[in-house]
Amino acid sequence: MAGIELLSDQGFRIDGRKPKELRRIQCRLGVFKQADGSAYIEQGNTKVLAAVYGPHETAGGRGKALHDKVLVNCQYSMATFSTGERKRRPRGDRKSKEMTMHLQQTFNAAIMTSLYPRSQIDIYVEVLQSDGGNYCASVNAATLALIDAGIPMKDYVCACSASFVKDCPIVDINYLEESSGGPELIVATLPKSSQIVFLEMNSRLHEDNLSKVLDVAVKGTKDVYQVLDNAVRDHISEVAAFHKLDQS
Amino acid sequence: MADDFKAARPLEYYRKFLEKDVRPDGRELGEFRPTILNIGCISTAEGSALVKLGNTTVMCGIKAELATPKTEEPSNGYLVPNVELSPLCSPMFRPGPPGEQAQVLSHFVNEVLDRSGCIRKEDLCIQTEKLVWVLYCDILCLDYDGNVADACILSLLAALKSTRLPAVKYNEETEKPETDSAKLEPLHILSNPVSSTFAIFDDRLMFVDPTVKEESLTTGTVTIVTNDNDLCIVQKPGGSPLTADQINTCFERAFSRSKEVLRLIDETLHSIER
Repeated sequence: MAGIELLSDQGFRIDGRKPKELRRIQCRLGVFKQADGSAYIEQGNTKVLAAVYGPHETAGGRGKALHDKVLVNCQYSMATFSTGERKRRPRGDRKSKEMTMHLQQTFNAAIMTSLYPRSQIDIYVEVLQSDGGNYCASVNAATLALIDAGIPMKDYVCACSASFVKDCPIVDINYLEESSGGPELIVATLPKSSQIVFLEMNSRLHEDNLSKVLDVAVKGTKDVYQVLDNAVRDHISEVAAFHKLDQS
Repeated sequence: MADDFKAARPLEYYRKFLEKDVRPDGRELGEFRPTILNIGCISTAEGSALVKLGNTTVMCGIKAELATPKTEEPSNGYLVPNVELSPLCSPMFRPGPPGEQAQVLSHFVNEVLDRSGCIRKEDLCIQTEKLVWVLYCDILCLDYDGNVADACILSLLAALKSTRLPAVKYNEETEKPETDSAKLEPLHILSNPVSSTFAIFDDRLMFVDPTVKEESLTTGTVTIVTNDNDLCIVQKPGGSPLTADQINTCFERAFSRSKEVLRLIDETLHSIER
């Protein structure tokens, strides 16, 4: 590996975390007024915004509308200043298109799509600062935004990444760990029913180790779920208290 | 009842309020929405700022790159502003290439940078004919609730003020730049452009800082960019005609707004340094 030690002999990672420790997650719901639902999430140094519009009439004519379910339209975009090198195109390059498709597939599996036939739901995700785990942060942010918009879902969708260094699985990898050439496993789950909706792995990993890495990643998504759930409950109680004040 | 009236006759609804010199959101005619500024929020950018003007939210990030200058201006760096109104910020905007409004705004920001001379392009030169800085000023609208132009200029100025560039030397023998990232230097900001937008209502009344609702009801707008104690740009793209007196009142308000904004930027910068 390129001279940097991803896991020290004492068992700490570059940013001082233990192998099974997530980065700090901070999130807020309902950050914007224009969107029907919006959320902001920070996972370590990765900062992502998500906005949800809809359900509304399909844009661009009836042609695109699906007769039995809602059309989930996603757009993933990275701010040009979000990475170390300036990004030439915030969207429309292959990587963003792939990410857009992955998000679309993930949320098609989680939203109760049959409730809104012939309509459309837009999910816009904007990465403001990127430090690895962009897909995971985008999924988590979009979940919060969908909840804020009040769109029925089977469950939260929580995503987490994992890697394998020195015979040890590590969870929620940052940019340095992502780009070191080791394996990267990304998983999105419905935490309550322990169902996997999205799973992607790249680079080489011995099959004996796969279950270990998958286990920590799934455990990571459950931890993420706890944090998101707390944030949603806090937000709801805040809103409810505000409405009570308003009425009295 | 009031909600029905507002939805069915928005113009009448506004008139009723404006007769009493107040707006439906409780603001006076000359009052801007509460302005919140956050500087240095993006660590991957050389300079950044987030501005909230009421609900309107705009983020500006500055990325610096090295490039060779144009042959006709061998000692000038580049300033490349770009404004993005993505579909994320409002249902008015569709995905796809930048719309008319985004292009007009980008041009406006470019004009402000050029005319105010707040950054001398010569200052961005490292070695004549060989190496200069390119500053990409990307402005992203996150929530569109009217008066994005003022928010853009404010976020741009704040981001430029927080920009730190690494010290770069040009090695003549190897013809390669040598970067010393430990030494960070601020940009020289020579002046402070501040923009103020006024909306004209019913051909006679004027108020500042229109929201998106107000923008749709107005009969014209005036945008004034002040540069410290000078006027920099005045834009009145058609709409209701105004008298010279009315324009003068706008100038006065624009200058007082400029002082408010600069105080806000200074306070925010101080609070970061501490």
